[in-house]
Amino acid sequence: MQQLPLGISLKPGISFDSFILGGNAQAVSSLQDCIRGDGESFIFLWGGSGIGKTHLLQSACRQAGDLGQAAAYIPLRQAADLAPAIFEDLDRLGLLCLDDVEQIAGNPAWEQALFNLFNRLMARKARLLVTADRSPAGLGLALPDLASRLSWGLNYRLQPLSEEDRFEGLLKKAAERGLKMPEETARYLLRRCPRDTGTLLDILDRLDRASLAAQHRLTIPFVRTHLGPDFKS
Amino acid sequence: MDQWKRCVSCLEEELPPQQFNTWIRPLQAIQESSRIRLLAPNKFVLDWVNSHYLSRINAYLNDICGNGTLSAVLEIGSRPSAAKTPAPGVLHPGMKGAPKQAAKESPAAGLESNINPNFTIDTFVEGKSNQLARAASIQIGDNPGVAYNPLFIYGGVGLGKTHLLHAVGNMILNNNPSARVVYLHSEGFVAEMVKALQNNTIENFKRRYRSVNALLIDDVQFFAGKERSQEEFFHTFNALFESQQQIILTSDRFPKEVTGLEERLRSRFGWGLTVAIEPPDLETRVAILKRKAMQLFNLDLPNEVAFFIGKRVRSNVRELEGALRRVIASARFTGKPISLDFAKEALKDMLAAHDKQVTIENIQKTVAEYFKIRTADLLSSKRSRTIARPRQMAMTLAKELTTHSLPEIGDAFGGRDHTTVLYATRKIAELKESDNRIAEDYGNLLRTLTN
Repeated sequence: MQQLPLGISLKPGISFDSFILGGNAQAVSSLQDCIRGDGESFIFLWGGSGIGKTHLLQSACRQAGDLGQAAAYIPLRQAADLAPAIFEDLDRLGLLCLDDVEQIAGNPAWEQALFNLFNRLMARKARLLVTADRSPAGLGLALPDLASRLSWGLNYRLQPLSEEDRFEGLLKKAAERGLKMPEETARYLLRRCPRDTGTLLDILDRLDRASLAAQHRLTIPFVRTHLGPDFKS
Repeated sequence: MDQWKRCVSCLEEELPPQQFNTWIRPLQAIQESSRIRLLAPNKFVLDWVNSHYLSRINAYLNDICGNGTLSAVLEIGSRPSAAKTPAPGVLHPGMKGAPKQAAKESPAAGLESNINPNFTIDTFVEGKSNQLARAASIQIGDNPGVAYNPLFIYGGVGLGKTHLLHAVGNMILNNNPSARVVYLHSEGFVAEMVKALQNNTIENFKRRYRSVNALLIDDVQFFAGKERSQEEFFHTFNALFESQQQIILTSDRFPKEVTGLEERLRSRFGWGLTVAIEPPDLETRVAILKRKAMQLFNLDLPNEVAFFIGKRVRSNVRELEGALRRVIASARFTGKPISLDFAKEALKDMLAAHDKQVTIENIQKTVAEYFKIRTADLLSSKRSRTIARPRQMAMTLAKELTTHSLPEIGDAFGGRDHTTVLYATRKIAELKESDNRIAEDYGNLLRTLTN
């Protein structure tokens, strides 16, 4: 048994394990099959913001990396800082993850580049994961050829977490950080904070630091003092 | 290699996961005695890593291995095995693309055949909408260069044009395994030509394409506005045509209507046989679903499920296949048999998103634009034919594409009676049979609304 070296990350990495499944177990299972190479080669995930699309793509990249596959994550939310040239020859990689594809809908240069990339990826049997805030049919793509291709693969609408999923997820996330989260504090937080998981986790990180610094348990009064009455940062 | 792995761990620790996965993860390392070659997939990534991360990378390498013993250099490329499929049995939506990589990796070998063996004439489901195109393809497969040259297949996206191209390619190769058959998307032709110009290998490029036995070019409308490529393709076309080598072209529209093409190309495209592929009718969609379920998943899809999907998904075959994949993935995940209720549940998000697309308002707007009238005219009491016909068309589409009742539809058209809607749908059905123009307008509108 090898002892873990010091300095190793204590922050919980983004991975499939740290994803709160809720009603999305099938989607996650399909993603994992895809990366292992015994499932679909193209999966399209859609749903509103904060639902976990980015988390899933990051996890996919990580898992592919762990399996020794070359992978890349392209955040199209930042398309303005990037250029369609970033798609060139990306079919050299085994796995490509494109986040927020709605951001380039209606932009001819990006759509054309994605269309070409899609064709090359499929010809080379590379794998592609795409996310958007709506279904392929609703993207309003200018290029019908691209629209029909994006509707070709396996397609999942990610489901928002139920109250109970969120509760259990919060306890799990706290435990991963080595934080003891009393149930009543968790309920208190869930009633008040925004409903997307990303914000919830940011708040948890802030509480983690505050609790460590103050050496104080996460009681409701402690949380209230630290986050303020309306949880604005 | 351990040094690089440790360097990567440090970067993973330091950088936000998003940055790490975008810029560091795609790099592939090859370690040599005093340096690590980092292969970036393209110039964009290389430049970005160079300006944002290379000094960090080298700083970590210095920490890990001691100053100056190992440094990283960036170059464009990939390890040969990078894009290989990790395991057999990966299911693919399809293949389409340029033989670009093959040509680059073995410049001397010229063109390798890139015909997808899965797209055969046997796996192409025949229906009224595509029987002419299919029949022509079979004749060409048996007698390339002789029967029809060029063959020009046009129709909307996802209706099987690419499948037919590959099917002909497979037939030609079956009859003559040494034939040089090349499938290429027009964009691939353009990209390859640009590279050949950059690398001063344009003569090789010309020779390669002018010496094939069959050239299958997909989506020629993408040549639009690319004059240098059109020029080159024009000469390729002439060389092949004169030596009686087969040319097959596809497009989303009739040759004369492909805009942005030189007239001499457009007219040549129409020299041989031009055939249309229409969207498949319900029976064909059902047959396609059953065939695909068997071919891709070895599964006998129940008829009622095939009819359900076929009725709800009408725009194109790719979308049908997407729906099928989803139902089958759900069945495998849950271990439940595929029943009608099961399929409805599995597809409910997808279909809901669809239904949202097609509203009566949306139909009215689209129809008005198509006939160049105002939406208000559709709702007005005007009864001239230029208004009444589009109105009947819009009512029929509303009945076909939405779940609204006839009284609701009548209401949405300026408070008309439901019998008016009924009359409109009968009238349009009748006219579709007797008047090609009406049939075509209806088909175009249906495509626009469901794509």
